[in-house]
Amino acid sequence: MTLAATSETDPAVQAEAAIERWLKDATGASGLRVTRFELLPGGAIQENWLLDVSIPDGPWSGDHAWVLRTNAASSVAASLSRAEEYAVLRVAHAHAVAVPQPLFLCEDTAVTGREFFVMERLNGIAVGHRLTREAALVPDGDALAGELGANLARLHSIAPPHPELERALGRPRANHATACIAEYRAYLDTLFDAYPTIEYALRWCEVHAPNDARTTLIHRDYRTGNYLVDGGRLAGVLDWEFAGWGDPREDLGWFTARCWRFAGPDREAGGIASVEPFLHGYASVAGWSASRADLDYWQVMAHLRWAIIALQQAQRHLSGGERSLELALTGRIVHELEYEMVHIIEGRSR
Amino acid sequence: MNDISDAVDLLATAREALTDEILPLLPKERRYVGLMINNVIGIATRELQSGATATADEAERIAQLLQGQPNAANGPIEGREADLEGLRRTLCSAIRSGRFDAGNARDALAAHLARTTRDWVAISNPKALRSA
Repeated sequence: MTLAATSETDPAVQAEAAIERWLKDATGASGLRVTRFELLPGGAIQENWLLDVSIPDGPWSGDHAWVLRTNAASSVAASLSRAEEYAVLRVAHAHAVAVPQPLFLCEDTAVTGREFFVMERLNGIAVGHRLTREAALVPDGDALAGELGANLARLHSIAPPHPELERALGRPRANHATACIAEYRAYLDTLFDAYPTIEYALRWCEVHAPNDARTTLIHRDYRTGNYLVDGGRLAGVLDWEFAGWGDPREDLGWFTARCWRFAGPDREAGGIASVEPFLHGYASVAGWSASRADLDYWQVMAHLRWAIIALQQAQRHLSGGERSLELALTGRIVHELEYEMVHIIEGRSR
Repeated sequence: MNDISDAVDLLATAREALTDEILPLLPKERRYVGLMINNVIGIATRELQSGATATADEAERIAQLLQGQPNAANGPIEGREADLEGLRRTLCSAIRSGRFDAGNARDALAAHLARTTRDWVAISNPKALRSA
């Protein structure tokens, strides 16, 4: 949506004017002009708006390429609020995790009707099936996987106690794995059908739950498709709405799980490289890395978590509230996820 | 050989028309919907062809698994039902309570689930199957 294409009664135009006034004050400038304001594709729960501004004076004097992130109109309260996500981004950025730098947070819903924050706009491509298929985008997959591993380890260096983050994220749970298993079972028990393969994998994860539970800040959706690659290098990690306290190995399993490898199912590190350079990059910062047993365990957990989310998406469609071909097809992914759980567990049982 | 098209043939023919005549005409921003519809027709076709067999086989195997459960040591499995939904539910609570954790019971369950998941991936997304 552009200024020229909309009328003065358009809510987006009204919001744009309100954002312009608010940013003028936030940047301490005498004036501020929004030169471009367009809704970016994707994002059913959050909206990302491309936001270019021109500032005549003050500490932010100059032209800036930013992104404004706000709740979608039909938002569900299943993930972090924008203020909480902003707090996570600030802390991650301060720990040299590759993220878009968070700049301004507006919690006053009187401005646009919804809270929003503004962050730096990074260049690059995030689309999973392109990054895993087009060699020109990722000329050195090992190097990129190493960067992604080191970057994840920097994120995992953030651990409780952390008063600022605990205000946003609450207190950590004692054992992330067993807490997740209980949560997934509680959801399954609300459904009409029963899922023996999911139950089998949950039971296996319960019996093999780590007794060396550790807790750090984790992203919970750190995977190909959610990071920007620019010139073959990692530019930044996106979509922090699921971040929370948890076992850092969950992120390692999620990143390497087969369900997030797109066009590169045999390249374990997110479809871009084998797992070794990814783990090596991780260990170079963390001083430790996941064992094969850890990876297998947390990949089963990854497929379980994705299966639970896929069942929830199918419910949104089937309950009639939100008829959608995409949501219906997401439900069918459960079959592949179950197949993969069985495969990994069999590999460990032989 | 039928004299008129059955559902599977209708779907296969519709899919050909979609891929040959409709998909090439779609603007870029509608192509994803077209591909999803193409995918859905494929899934529905395969489910018509083999879904009923997969379901009947699964029910039969679960009934066998539950019969093999030791009744004397752990007591009978309660709420046993004949339909697939009931069988799955009974199997699920037995798994959750640890009755299939080890030994022959575990191996038989694992074999059953490997077969069941393979049958359904062959319907939902055969490209994801590993060569056996």
